[in-house]
Formats: sequence, C-alpha cells, structure tokens
Amino acid sequence: MQALTLKDVRFRYPGMSEWALDIPSLEIRQGEFVTVLGPNGAGKTTLSLLANGLVPKSIKGEFEGSVEVFEHPVPKYTVSQLSTLVGMVFQEPESQLFCMSAEEEVAFGPENLAVPRDEISRRVEWALDLVGLKGLNDRSPFTLSGGQKQRLAIAAALSMKPSMLVLDEPAYALDPMGRIELYSILSDLKAKHGMTVIVMERDAEDLVEYSDRFVLMANGRVTASGPPREMLMDPGALRTAGVSPPQMAEVASLINLRRKAPPLRFLTVDEAFAEITINTHHHSKGESH
Amino acid sequence: MTGFLDLYSEKDTFLHRLDPRVKLLAVALISVLAFILAELLYLVVLLCFILLLLVLARSSYGKAFFALKFVIRFMILITLLWPLFDRSGTPILFSIGPLDITEPAVWRGATSAVRVGCFATVWYILMFTTSQRDLVRALVKLGLRFDYGLALAISFRFIPTFGLTIESIKDAQRARALELDRGSILRRSRNYVSILVPTIVYALRTADTLALTLQSRAYGAFSNRTYLREIRMRASDYVALTVVVLILLLPAMAKYICGVRI
Repeated sequence: MQALTLKDVRFRYPGMSEWALDIPSLEIRQGEFVTVLGPNGAGKTTLSLLANGLVPKSIKGEFEGSVEVFEHPVPKYTVSQLSTLVGMVFQEPESQLFCMSAEEEVAFGPENLAVPRDEISRRVEWALDLVGLKGLNDRSPFTLSGGQKQRLAIAAALSMKPSMLVLDEPAYALDPMGRIELYSILSDLKAKHGMTVIVMERDAEDLVEYSDRFVLMANGRVTASGPPREMLMDPGALRTAGVSPPQMAEVASLINLRRKAPPLRFLTVDEAFAEITINTHHHSKGESH
Repeated sequence: MTGFLDLYSEKDTFLHRLDPRVKLLAVALISVLAFILAELLYLVVLLCFILLLLVLARSSYGKAFFALKFVIRFMILITLLWPLFDRSGTPILFSIGPLDITEPAVWRGATSAVRVGCFATVWYILMFTTSQRDLVRALVKLGLRFDYGLALAISFRFIPTFGLTIESIKDAQRARALELDRGSILRRSRNYVSILVPTIVYALRTADTLALTLQSRAYGAFSNRTYLREIRMRASDYVALTVVVLILLLPAMAKYICGVRI
C-alpha cells in the first residue's frame, strides 16, 4: 500500500506568483523511511503540511491535484481525523510543547480523541518508553534538553497511534548526539513498528544509513529521487538542488575526474581509507610485475 | 529558571494534598470572612490563623519572604495613610498643620491593613501549595470551558519561555550597542521598541506553530474529550471543606443573625 500519494499537486500561497509546490507525482510506500532534502524555500514544509491537510485547510492558498494518505483522500477528512494516520513533528521544539508536564503533552492527543483513561495511560507509558523518556512523566517540557523536547514531540504524535510520521527539520536545533539519537529512534520505529517515516532535512549526511530513499527538492519541485548512497555519490545533482554534498563524496568525485580506472565510491573517511588502500595496493602490485 | 513567577514548590503537606477545588473555595471564603469581620481583634486572630497555615505550607523562606515583603509594605502604607484621608470621629490625637489625626481613624486604618494582610496572604498560600497545573484543572472541573483552561495553561507554560527570549533579545541588542539603562525616560522607552518588535515577531511565530500543533493533535475533535488525570475529592477534602465552611458560617451567623459585634 502507498502511505502517501501526490498527483498533479500544485499549491500557491496567497499573493505569490510562483508555485510553492509543483509535484506531478510522488509516491511513498508504507513502511518506507524517506528523507526529503532541499534548501530553505524548496517547499519541504509545505509538502509536510500537505500530508495531514493543514495545507490547504488551515494554511489557505490556491490548491490543485490530489493527495492520498493510506488510500484516504486527504481533502475528505478533517485534520483531527487524519491525526490518527499522520503524526506531525515541527522544527521548533519550544513552540510545539505547550503542556505543563511531559505526561500531559503525550496524553493531549488521545484525550482529544476521547480515548478511555486506562488506554491513554498505557499509551503514555508506551510512547515515552519508545522515545527514551521513560520516567520523566512529571517533568516540565520547558526543563528538557533540546533533544528530549523533540523526542517528546514525537511521543506526543505517537500516542495517537499514527501509521506515518512526518517531521519537518526535527534536528534543526539539536547537537550531533541529539541528532543521532533522534534518527535512530525513528529508524527503530520503522523497523519494529512498521512506521512510515518522512523527514524533511537540509543536511543529508547523518541520514544516509537510516533512509531507504532520498528525495531532492528545489523551488517546489522534486528534482531527483533514489537510494541515499547513489544520490550522495553524485555531488552535482545535490548541488543543483541546493544541498551541500558530503565532503568525502566531493573528494571522490574530484579524484574520479582525473582517473581512467573504475571510479572510486566512498562517503565516509573509513570507506575512503579502505577504497584508496585497496586501489593503491592493486596499483603497486601491478607495477612490481 | 522555571522558578520565576511560579511561587509553587513541591512539598508533601496536607495543604499540598488538598483538592485544588477545596483550596480555591477555602481561599475565597476566608477572603469573604476578612471582609465580614469588622473588629481589629478578630481580624488579628484570623491573620494569625492564616500565618499558621503559611507555616504549615512549608514554603521556602525565600518565597515566603518575597511574598510577605509586599504584604507588609502594603499594610504599613495603609496604616499610615488611612488617618490622613479619613478624618472623621473624635478625639483628635494630634494635628499636623491643618490635618487632624483622630483616634477612630487610626483604628480603622489598622483594621483595613490587617484585613488586606489576611486577604493577600491567604491567596499567596494558595499559590505556594497549588501547582499551576492543578489550578487550571480545578477551574476546568469547576466549570471553566476547556478552551479557556487550555489558554490559561498555555500562558502559564510560556511565561518562562518568553522571559528567556526577551532576555536574549536584550543581550543581542545590547551587543549592537543599544543603551537600555541610560538616557531620559523618553529615550529609554524608545530604545525598548527594538526589544518589543523582535519579541512580538517571535510570539507570532510561536503562536503559528502552536496552532498547527494543536490541530495536528486533534484539538477539538470531540466535545466529550477524556482526561488522563481527574481530581477527586477524598474524605480529608470533605473534612477540610466542612471546617472552612464553618469558619465562615459561624462568624457570619453571629454577626448577621445574633447581632454580635465582631
């Protein structure tokens, strides 16, 4: 089943001449971990808000095309109804936590959905445990670290039992450790719970090992899509989309420009070391004969 | 940093454990009582009772001192100023130029001061022993619409956030040579515009995300929303409620039915 299907989607903010989003076709499978890459203004946020109908229901504008979430046409449902299918996490940790304790934050969604009390209680424990915040029920969200805040926002979405999580630059305000923690939780959710995960990001490097697919966006359009490693090995395509390629990929492509032998392919320092030693080893062997 | 503007401190006393609705009602009734009592002696007794409660609330000395500092200053001010404006009655104690200070006015001033002291301190006790969370829950339970309760809770929650934001905006603007502490009042208030504008922009942006978040979390989906935590009255709450009602009722009956001067 497709988790998200976009067909001939176009969206324009009021008073703008350019389309903020212009996507003839985009499909994301159930259980897929997709990273959407693009610079500021590429349309990542608009795309994420499309998934639960906030665009165009709350954020008005000129909209055409069709959006389906798990085969449900988005325009037919309210944002509240879609909340049980799509969990949203926004960029700013501070402004999406509004309760006075972590527990209330996670309980807020199910409470609104009139879930019975003991079921809410179970979901709160379950969700806090999943994001590694077990036992922090009574903590004020204000006192949590940036990483903890973002994980709490994820727990607050999870407690509504969605099948898909959409995160708009969730690692924006996090340090490298917090970022890795966040992504590995998302990857666990995919692996253990079959969650479909869509992450909007500007920086690709950390997400290579977690993502099934990279989608590149620029100026509201999808410019390329494919397996993360292949996408990163092509610094040219990344740069066209306004995303800075990993340094090691740039080194590889510069070496490959001058090499007649099969191209080198590496993304990390370790890979580069392995690749280069093997190749120079072959080379020196060839010379000695 | 959460501490500023939040007087509550977590302790395990009977005042903390009391149902917040009972506490709200008790505070309201004691406030009414402070206005019913007219004799200084009885008001002093009430104030002593309230101070006893303050001790039982075991709030930190820092917070209690912070709170009482204002109350005491205010009480002194009332005691001193009252006779200057209320010059009725005899005998005249002494005169300051054309001003006659009369004995009844001095008593009335002291009475009003103690009354205000009772009134203020008892509300402080409520804030010392009840978390903002429980206060909002109690208000919703007492019939406040959930929307208003949520708005109240959100404003409590964002006070420290905005406090920190304003501080960092101030620092940022000072780093660009903005003077906030020097110059005439007019100039200073004009300089504060450069603090105000970014703060408002930040507030609007936060409100935007907040609105999207609330919708994404199914806010307002059902009118019969459930609650994870419900406050429930226990036996001790009923006892406390009865005691408080009696504390109000007995003097009120004595005054209005039996005609006793209290």
